[in-house]
Amino acid sequence: MATIISAGISDVGKKRSNNEDSFLIDDQQKLFIVADGMGGHNAGDVASQIVVETMARHMKDDPDAGETDASDYDETLSVASNKLLAGIHLANQRVHESAAEDENRKGMGATLSAIHFSDNCLTAANVGDSPIYLVHEGTIEPLHVLHTVIAEQQAIDPDGISEIEERYRHMLTRAMGTNETVQPDACEVQYFKGDILVICSDGLSNKVTPDDIHDIVSKEPPDKACQTLVDLANERDGDDNITAIVLRVKSVRGRGMGVVVSILDMIKDFFTGKR
Amino acid sequence: MPKLTLMFQEKTLGEYDCEKEKSITIGRHADNDIVIDNLGASGHHAKIDYLNDVLLLTDLGSTNGTFVNEKLVASHKLRKDDVIAIAKHTLVVTYGDGEVEPEEAASLMDKTMVMDTEQHRALMEKSGGAGTGKAEEKGAMLTFLSGREGEMEISKKLTKIGKDPGSDIVVSGFTVGKTAATISMRPNGYFLSYVEGMSKPKVNGEAVKQSVKLNEFDIIEIGSVKAELTFT
Repeated sequence: MATIISAGISDVGKKRSNNEDSFLIDDQQKLFIVADGMGGHNAGDVASQIVVETMARHMKDDPDAGETDASDYDETLSVASNKLLAGIHLANQRVHESAAEDENRKGMGATLSAIHFSDNCLTAANVGDSPIYLVHEGTIEPLHVLHTVIAEQQAIDPDGISEIEERYRHMLTRAMGTNETVQPDACEVQYFKGDILVICSDGLSNKVTPDDIHDIVSKEPPDKACQTLVDLANERDGDDNITAIVLRVKSVRGRGMGVVVSILDMIKDFFTGKR
Repeated sequence: MPKLTLMFQEKTLGEYDCEKEKSITIGRHADNDIVIDNLGASGHHAKIDYLNDVLLLTDLGSTNGTFVNEKLVASHKLRKDDVIAIAKHTLVVTYGDGEVEPEEAASLMDKTMVMDTEQHRALMEKSGGAGTGKAEEKGAMLTFLSGREGEMEISKKLTKIGKDPGSDIVVSGFTVGKTAATISMRPNGYFLSYVEGMSKPKVNGEAVKQSVKLNEFDIIEIGSVKAELTFT
């Protein structure tokens, strides 16, 4: 297990009247989430809250969280990742149900970007367009898959992007709660001491480039970096809600001691007669 | 591009495209863009201007009036699905598949929206996409050069390599860790990471201390196993 230093800030920005972003920092479960709500008559904040709360409860094995109907176990992912995905399916269901119950919430939804640390690796999962970045050894790398019309179009036909008009700029292809089921993207990543992870809403990533993010989180501790990132997005118009979570892997136990562990293993193997 | 469909009773008489910054005239006389062959229509009955992304309908002082959605109008900003009635004819305002009317698009520009499935599929088909919207994921394959036979497709998001019998690729060797290394499938490609054990994995002969991005034809070495990575 690892020691993670965490910080998160959510800011309404300079143009909007309410904040529809929600985030979760659960150091005990090592679960970190950003959800960017949208739609309905200002029900976006309701949607993002349901996402965050349902996920947190599910990961805590809270019986109130309920069971998800989506039972498909993804063989390409670990047990820990599958638990996270089950939480995502459950949260999707909760938002969808809530939207169906109340006319004012009709059409509401949210993005979801989550990181969960398990013993040896971390799982990054997302639905929508809230970025997750890994900063490792001087590089910044996306761990999210953008579910936007433009990004998906670009992946299919990099030259055809001019065909896609400006009006699709904010058009998502998937979101939490807008359909009965949802298909998250997930990856499992080995983490190392000193790695930094950033989860944010597009209110940040539309204003601050990955290079800027890289610079800031490499220089400043998580809490200060969050504030700097939010301030920077606000300086550059701040026309959306801005949320940032910054995580730093302070230490990794059980590893890094690799050699010692190996030797101990070998001695143990020797005495237990495996060799 | 918005379209006007001229109908008489249930029959479609014609379709007219609205071009940007142009006007369409409607009336009984033959010099109109849309001719309504009915005595109830005035010679020059009405016009529709398509300016600044707005479709504006103006009645030109007609005798019997112009109606939008059954209401008499002098001028009216047309919206999608509006029904204009002139004499016994109707004109319906439509937009193409997956097309959002400009005004709506403008107000939504800064709002995040989710495309509905139908709309999405239509757009993807139009642009020759696979329809699922997802780019084809690049698969990867390990061809074993020594220590093991054959090849193996990398199908898991995280492939574990090590001495542990539960590993996806079991490697023997005194100095090999239980989980010596992992290969992770990430949005940006495949990455090999060292996890534990005395001997570090090597990529193209170089020891990996933490993690490296893998390229096609990289040679990966862990303990007794050597393999080449190829993309499929």
